[in-house]
Amino acid sequence: MPGMKQSAKQIYNWLERRLQVEGPVKDAVLHKVPRNTASWWYVFGSAAFTLLMLQIVTGILLALVYVPSGAEAWNSLNILNHQVPLGWFLRAVHAWGSNFMVAVVFIHMAQVFLFGAYKFPRELTWTVGVFLLLMTLGMAFTGQVLRFDQDAYWGLGIGVFILSRVPIAGGSLVHLLLGGPTIAGATLSRCFALHVFVIPGTLLVLVAMHVWMVLKLGINEWPMPGRLVRKETYIEEYNKLAHEDGIPFVPGAFWKDLVFSAAVLAAVGVCAAVFGPSGPSGQPDPSITQTVPKPDFPFLWIYAVLSYLPPSMETPFILIAPILMIAGLLAVPFVASEGEKSWHRRPVAVLALSMVAVSWAVFTHLAMSTPWSPHMSAWSGDTLPVKYLREATPLVRQGAVIFQAKQCRNCHSIGGHGGERGPALDAVATRMTPDQMRYKVVTGGGNMPAYGKNLAPAEIEALVSFLETLHPKNEPPAFDPSQQANAATASTGGSGRP
Amino acid sequence: MRRGAMALALPLVFALAGCSRVPEATVEAPAPRPEAVMDFHALYSANCQACHGANGHGGPAMELGNPEYQALVDDATLRKWISGGMPGTEMPAFAQSAGGMLTDTQIGAIIAGMRKEWAKPNAFGGATPPAYAQDQAGDVKRGQATYQARCASCHQNSAREQVTSVVYLSLVSDQALRTIIVAGRVDIGQPDWRLATGKGVAGPLSGQDVTDIATYLGSLRNPAAVSAAPIPNPAGR
Repeated sequence: MPGMKQSAKQIYNWLERRLQVEGPVKDAVLHKVPRNTASWWYVFGSAAFTLLMLQIVTGILLALVYVPSGAEAWNSLNILNHQVPLGWFLRAVHAWGSNFMVAVVFIHMAQVFLFGAYKFPRELTWTVGVFLLLMTLGMAFTGQVLRFDQDAYWGLGIGVFILSRVPIAGGSLVHLLLGGPTIAGATLSRCFALHVFVIPGTLLVLVAMHVWMVLKLGINEWPMPGRLVRKETYIEEYNKLAHEDGIPFVPGAFWKDLVFSAAVLAAVGVCAAVFGPSGPSGQPDPSITQTVPKPDFPFLWIYAVLSYLPPSMETPFILIAPILMIAGLLAVPFVASEGEKSWHRRPVAVLALSMVAVSWAVFTHLAMSTPWSPHMSAWSGDTLPVKYLREATPLVRQGAVIFQAKQCRNCHSIGGHGGERGPALDAVATRMTPDQMRYKVVTGGGNMPAYGKNLAPAEIEALVSFLETLHPKNEPPAFDPSQQANAATASTGGSGRP
Repeated sequence: MRRGAMALALPLVFALAGCSRVPEATVEAPAPRPEAVMDFHALYSANCQACHGANGHGGPAMELGNPEYQALVDDATLRKWISGGMPGTEMPAFAQSAGGMLTDTQIGAIIAGMRKEWAKPNAFGGATPPAYAQDQAGDVKRGQATYQARCASCHQNSAREQVTSVVYLSLVSDQALRTIIVAGRVDIGQPDWRLATGKGVAGPLSGQDVTDIATYLGSLRNPAAVSAAPIPNPAGR
C-alpha cells in the first residue's frame, strides 16, 4: 500500500511539474470572498454552469442515436422514446435541463441586476453574460428545431418569417439558415451544426471568460444601502472587505453552490421522470394542417405578443424591438456603472424589473391559453355549398372530399368562405380547362405550391373532376380549341396537320 | 431617493386601484386550448363537417347523419376509423397517438354526440341489414352479374354515374363501398341495400350479394393504371 501511495505521488509530481496548475487552482479555490456573499442568492450562476454540463453530457448521448436528417429525425426520436432503454428519460432530462437552464439564466440575470453586480468593475462580465443569455436562447431554439415535429416545423417557419423581414439581407439570411429556399433536409443539418458545434463552442468560450472575470474581479459583495460604488475607491474597498471579513471561497461559499446545483439536478430528474420527454408531436409534414403548433416555453411570450400586435406594427416591432432590448441590456452597466447597489435605493431598477417580469408572465399565460393565431384551420371546418354537390357523381364527390381534406381552402375560397391568397374557385371551370387545372395542381406556379408529390394521381384526377363542375349553369366550361379541332378532324376521318 | 420611489409608486397604485372601476373593463374568459374542447358541436364542426356535411348530411363523404349508418356501425368501429383513419380512403387519423389532434376523450365525445343526435331506434324498420363487415368470401363473377342486374340500371356505364371508374375505386376502400351499399344515402336520395321498390324489382340485396358486388368493384381497382395518365403541359401556360 505505501508503495502504491508513493508511486501515485510520483505520477502527480511528474504531471504537476509539467502542467503547473496546482498554484492557479489553489488560488482560485482558496481566494477570499466577502463573508456575506456566501449567500443563497449567489448560487444561480453556478447552477447555470452545472446545467450547461448536464446539457453537454445528455446532448452527447442523444447525438449517438439522433439522425439529423429530415426523413429520419422524427423516427429516431420515437426510437429514443420507445426502443432505446431509458432513451425517453435521456430526452426528458435534456428537455427539462434546457427549460431549467433558460429559467436559471434569467433568474441569475435578474438577481445580478437587482444586486447591482454589473457595476464597476464588472461591466464586461455583464456584457458577456448578455451574450451568454442570447446563446442559451439560441440553444433552446435550435434544440426545439432538432425535435423535428410539427411544433419544430412551424416554430422554425415563424423564426424564418421574422428573419425574412430584415431589410435587404432578409432573403439571404433565410437562405443561409435553411440551406435553401424551403425547410428541407439541409435545414436540419444546419440547425444540428449550430446546436452541436457553433453555439456550444461560442458558449464555452464565453463561459470561460465570464468565470475568469468572476475569479479575477471577485464575487460581488452584498449590497448595503449607502455604500456607493466609486471607480477611484471601489477596488481598494472590496479588497479590504474580502480580506478583513472574508472567508475562503471553498468551502465557505462553495457548499451552497454545490447544494443548490444538486437540488436543481434533482429537480430536473424529477420533472423528467414525472412529466417525461417533450414530444415529438405530429410529423413535420406541411400537408398536415390539423395542427396547433406551439413554441417551447422560453418563446411563448413572443408568440402571444405577435398574435396581439396589429399587422401594421409587426414589421417595425419585429425588427426594432429585439435591437432595443439587446442594446438596452448591453447599456445597463455603462449607464449606471457607479453609485448605489442596494435595491432599497434603486426604485427605477426595481420597478423596471417588476414590469418586465409581470409582462413576461402575462404574455406567457396568454400564449398558453389562447389558440394559435393565425389559424391554419380557419376554414377547414366550413362545408361546401350543398348546391355544388347536388348533381355530383361519386367521382366528383370524392374530388370534393380531397378538396376539403387537403385544405385547398386555406388559400382558395369557395361559396364565399376560404383564404384569399389564391383566387376563388366558384367558377374556376370557366377560366381553366381540365388539363390546365391538372397542370397547375401538379406543378404549382405563382403563389401556389406544387402538389404533384403530395397527391396521388387518382386524387388529382378526382380533384380536377370536381373543379371541372365549378361553373355557372348558364356559362359553359372552358375548353381547349386545339383539342376540339383535333377531335373534329378525327371524327371526320381527315388527317391533322400536314 | 425614498421620496422618488413614492412619487413613482403612488400614481401606479392609483392607476391599478382605478382599473376595476372602469365600466368597460370586463375580463373575457380565455379560449380553451384545442385539446380541452369537449362540446360535440364544436368538435364536429371543426373536424368532421367539412367532408361529412353540416349536421351529418349533404357533405361529399359518408353521410354520418343517416340513422341507418348509425345503427349499422358500432362504437368500437367508429373509434377505430376516427382514431387511426380509414385505410384506402381520404379519412385521416384524428387521434393524437396517430399524429392527429384529438384526444381519446374528445373522440369519445364525438361518438357519443353522433349517437345522441342521429341514432334512431328501429332505423331499419324491422328489417335485418347485411352485416357491417364482410363475413363471407365474395365472388367476382357473381358480383359482376349482380352488379349488372341490380346496380347498372342507375350506375350505367355512362360517364356521369360511373362507380366502376378506376379513379373512383382508387379512392374508396372495399369497406366504404360495402357501407354505402348497405346504408345508402338519404340526403341525396340514394337507396340502401333494399334498393328501390317497384315493378320487377327483385327485393333487397342479400349479404352475399353485397359482398359479391364489393368484391367485383374491388377487383377493378388499379391505382397503377391511374398513375400512367400523362400530365400534359397545356400550350401557352
